[in-house]
This record gives sequence, structure tokens and C-alpha cells, in this order.
Amino acid sequence: MAAAALGWALRAARQVLPSPCPGQVRSYYVDWRMLRDVKRRRLAYEYADERLRINAIRKNTILPKELQEVADKEIAALPRDSCPSRIRNRCVLTSRPRGVRRRWRLSRIAFRHFADHAQVSGVQRAMW
Amino acid sequence: QEGTAETPKQKLLDIIGNMKVEVSYRKKLQELKASENKKQDTNMLAGPDSEGPQRAAEGIQRGKPLNPELVKAASAVASSLPLNKKQTESELLAQLRRHEETTDKQKKGETINIRNVISEMTVKKRSPAQRGVRISSRISLELDDDGQRIRPERFSSQSLDSRRSLKVGKRLNIFTKASTEPEHALKTVSSPTIWDLEFAKEIAAITAQPPRNGFEEMIQWTKEGILWEFPIDNEVGMDDGAEFHEHIFLDKHLEGFPKDGPIRHFMELVICGLSKNPYLSVKQKIEHIEWFEKYFEEKKELLQDI
Repeated sequence: MAAAALGWALRAARQVLPSPCPGQVRSYYVDWRMLRDVKRRRLAYEYADERLRINAIRKNTILPKELQEVADKEIAALPRDSCPSRIRNRCVLTSRPRGVRRRWRLSRIAFRHFADHAQVSGVQRAMW
Repeated sequence: QEGTAETPKQKLLDIIGNMKVEVSYRKKLQELKASENKKQDTNMLAGPDSEGPQRAAEGIQRGKPLNPELVKAASAVASSLPLNKKQTESELLAQLRRHEETTDKQKKGETINIRNVISEMTVKKRSPAQRGVRISSRISLELDDDGQRIRPERFSSQSLDSRRSLKVGKRLNIFTKASTEPEHALKTVSSPTIWDLEFAKEIAAITAQPPRNGFEEMIQWTKEGILWEFPIDNEVGMDDGAEFHEHIFLDKHLEGFPKDGPIRHFMELVICGLSKNPYLSVKQKIEHIEWFEKYFEEKKELLQDI
């Protein structure tokens, strides 16, 4: 498990895009914070089912309370990064944590840059 | 000998006189050979020459024996000609034999009969529209973006084929049927070496040319899965082929649980929720239920304390 995680992290740090696409090719994540966010997303995906089931037992009025306390402890024992609320929707290009528009996954500065160069489809300077 | 020579000659003349007048040279030759064959027979019967039985033996040895009349006629012709008689006779007989072979083959239908081939052919009538297209296609000097000429479409052959199907008519026996070799046993293939993989990658890289236009680009994207297929199918990748009753009636999976108690109540609620969920496949739903089963099995001791 640890070896797999290490291998994945190494691969993540050096990701070379195989397809020859035009434009800028980025081979690394922008910064370590972005890498950590990527790890959190991956873990959240892996543990999503388990968390859902244990939470179903916890948020319950039918089952006995002892069972729910056990479930509480169990979910706390899961890795901390598997929690989805730890995921931050960062900008995809600049890794800016704030000012990110969800539809384009870009921070406001990157969005403005591309929109001015007419590289965002359907976006125009507002004037009224 | 003069007497014997005269009577065969007489015979030859009679034969030729009886025969019809033919225009084609080939038939004339055949008749001459026929008369010579008769001549040869008479020679055989007349005098036991040393060459006679030899020739006869030769005639019989080479497959089917020739018509004795033809042999007689051949000998008569050879005697009538001024040159070396025996040589001419042997040559004529050889010719005759070859002709016999060809006639036999034609009877069996093995050789190519040109008449059959030509009878099937018809004069192609070019329609003026097609003609115009062909001329224009030859003259076209348009260049693509890459600098390659636009290849004209080969639709003429297809239009001809539609008029006459390919399998109609007599077999012409021009081509021999290709022998369908039985597939040899598969050679024992070892696991592909690195060089094989590299070679395969190289080939793939070379054959995958960049798209020439937007349509080809869209085709490539569709193959990769980037572009959806139109008309849009809302259930791409989701349809597992299970019927609706497998999604809704999940009671049969509840057999491992106790019949009474809060657990049963809880599981019935779980099943109610799962049956209303259209986004999960049947497998995923069953996996959920089985996980709960395992979980409650593990917690049995704890539950019994309560």
C-alpha cells in the first residue's frame, strides 16, 4: 500500500503527456499544493463508498447508539485525506486557491487572460 | 513397289476427290494427314518394312493411337511429296498427334476457347456525362493543401459491375483456383520482446498521420472518446443489460439478515433508497448490501450485548 502510494506520487510528480498536442505541454504539477490536492482527490474517490456506508449507519435514528458510536470511531480511523471536504477547487493552470470559476476551473486572472485573447468559447467582453 | 505406290496414290486421289472443298487451310491439312494415315496403313499391310512396324509401334506408344485412315493418308502425302518421304511422314504424324491432343482437350473443355471469352464481352458504351467526367478528371491539376493531386473516384468499374454481375456466364478457365493451404499450426510465439514492442509503436506512430481536415479530426476524437457519438445516447457506458425488476425488487438479497429488529428495518430503508437510484448499476447495489451484511456479521457480538 505504501509502495503503491509512493510509486503513484513519483509518477504524479513527473507526468509526461504522451499525446502530441499543440500548445504548451506541462510535464509537472504547478506546485506541491496542487499535488497534495490531487492526492486528496484520489483518496476521496477510493474511500467514497465506505464513507457513504458508514455515514449511513451513523446518521440514523433506528440503529442502536452503540453501533453508531462504533461507526464514528471507524470513520475517524480512515485516512484524513479521504475526506471530500478537504478538496479545494484550485485553478488548473496557476493553482490559485481563491477566485476560481468552477465552470472553467480557472482563476480569475487566467480566465481574463484567455478571454481577452478570444480563447474561451462563448465569452465576450460585457458591454451594456 | 511401283504397283504399291500407284495404288496408294490412287487411293489418296480418290479420298481427296471424295472430300469436300474446304476454304480453311487447317482442314485441308487435316485431310491430307488423314489420307496419309491411310497410306501408311496400306504400306504396313503391303510390306513388312522395318520402319513400318516401328512407326506403328511409335504411333501406338504415344498415348492414344491415331486414326489408321489418317495414318494412311499421311503416308500417301509423304509419298506424293518430292522430299525425303520418311521424314515428312514422321513430321506429319507428329503434327497430327498434336492436333489430336488439342481436339481431345477441347472436347473435355480444358483449354481456353477464345470464342467463349469474346462472346461474353460487349462494346462499352460511354455515356457523354461519364466521358466528360473522365476528361475533366484527367486534366484536373487541383492541388490539396499537402500538394497532392485529388484522386478521381473510381466509380466507373462499380457502375459496370452493377449492370452485369460477375458470376454470370460460363467459366472461362483462365485462372487456376488458388489452392487453399491448410493453416499451419501456430508457431510457438514467445512473449513479445522489447524490440517487437518498439517496432509496433513505431509502426503505429507512422501510420497515425495527423488529420488533414476538421472531419478527420472529429473522427479521431470520436474514436478516442473525447467527442460524443451523435445522436447522443444518454446511457453510454451505463447500460449493463439488467431488467428493471433487478433494480427494484432487491428483497431477495436480504436473506442473510435477521427477520426482526432494527437491523431489518434499517436494511429495508436501504433497499428502498437503492431501488429509487437510477445512477447505480445492479452490481454496485448488490455490493452495498453485501458490505452491510459483512459489517453486521462482524458486529454480532456487540449487538448481542445490547
